[in-house]
Amino acid sequence: MASVYFLVLKRFIIFILLQGLIFNNFDFFGSFDPYIALVFILTFPIKINKITFLIASFCFGICLDLFSNSLGLNTAACLTAAFSRSYILSFVFGSFFDPLGLKLIKNYISDSSFSQKFLYLVSIILIHHFVLFSLEAFSFEFFSLIIYKTFLTSLLTLTFCTTTIYIMIKNEK
Amino acid sequence: MQQIIDFIIRKKDVVVYLILLLFSLLLIINSNYFHKSKILLFSNSITNYTFDKFSFFNEYFELKKINSSLIDENLFLKSRLEKVSNNNNIDSLKNVIFKYKNAKVISNNLSSFKNHLIINKGADDGLKNEMGIINSTGIVGIINRTSKNYSSVMSILNIETKINAKVKRTSHFGTLEWDGLSNSYLLLNDIPETADIKVGDSIITGGMSLIFPEGINVGVVSEVINKKKHNDSLSRLNTNNSKYLDTEFRENYLNIEVKLHTNMNNLNNVYVIESLNREEFKNISK
Repeated sequence: MASVYFLVLKRFIIFILLQGLIFNNFDFFGSFDPYIALVFILTFPIKINKITFLIASFCFGICLDLFSNSLGLNTAACLTAAFSRSYILSFVFGSFFDPLGLKLIKNYISDSSFSQKFLYLVSIILIHHFVLFSLEAFSFEFFSLIIYKTFLTSLLTLTFCTTTIYIMIKNEK
Repeated sequence: MQQIIDFIIRKKDVVVYLILLLFSLLLIINSNYFHKSKILLFSNSITNYTFDKFSFFNEYFELKKINSSLIDENLFLKSRLEKVSNNNNIDSLKNVIFKYKNAKVISNNLSSFKNHLIINKGADDGLKNEMGIINSTGIVGIINRTSKNYSSVMSILNIETKINAKVKRTSHFGTLEWDGLSNSYLLLNDIPETADIKVGDSIITGGMSLIFPEGINVGVVSEVINKKKHNDSLSRLNTNNSKYLDTEFRENYLNIEVKLHTNMNNLNNVYVIESLNREEFKNISK
């Protein structure tokens, strides 16, 4: 169990630094940053209970906000993504979802079909980005802009997150 | 009770989520200026709307008083018109410095140290900061914030308001301030001790700042306190002037108490004064 917490702590630091120092300055097509830090929430071990997960992602969001100078925005978005993860897990993986088991992310990736993995990643990324951008705009005046930005950034995040997760699996094997 | 606790324990992750989310939303609103102003604007628009609707009903009870005061004002303006038409060789286009617009007070506050009024005209009607507000009896305040349809007015009963005024008979200039105590008295400071001011002298606006034109009624002098005499009287009788025992007096200046003409409890129709030369005046007095 201690090794799992150590793994989480290691990922926490690595993804904060990656996102804060490198990926926040990417600026694809002008103003689109991939949110690679979401990998932390996507690959959080499920055997750690939900409340610890929520508190961890809250702290994670605050640290992200410190780097991107927008106190509270990333916190709310990460928290919502973390909260919705358990529902999405049981929705997408169904019988695979085993909250008492000791499955780490590898088992999910290897045992489920491609469409399941894809759905899992896309739904969490969309939820996170939608919450983030609508809180940033803070009005329904820019609804079309929020949707547009959500989809474009989600595409970017999806490609970067998939790559990162594959690299992580290879390293952990 | 047992069921409530059971429910909370069963849904504990939802409860934790909501608490943390609330916390992060508070962070967002408190630390980002844009979000804060947006929330303030939203809540202001709701309260202003309700005040507006409420004052619609309130107006009916005030109609008689408003009518009589409007008739008085009409008579006064007619008498002014006579004078103006007598010397009609003055070019009226060039001499217009102040423009008047009417507005209605929809919320009025007298209880705090920094009192504000809300009037039902805003930036859409051309109102800007630092425009003066009067009613038919005297001065009311100065606009300090405008939104789209409403404006907030710093009332003269606000300890931060300072208005230039003068004594009509002797033309001594001074500054009107409020001591935060009574809602029908102001203090006129900065008038030298040598000035011959008597109880009953009328106080009018000085016209130095182009917020108010010169000569608008403010009130009458109700008490003049000279520091020297005050000290003498203090030594003689301590009980009589107990009202002013705590207030600080400056050397060589008179402390004049002014009774307002305006009844701040009962404001309805007000006029906004727009000064057309204000920009020019500001530029040259930089």
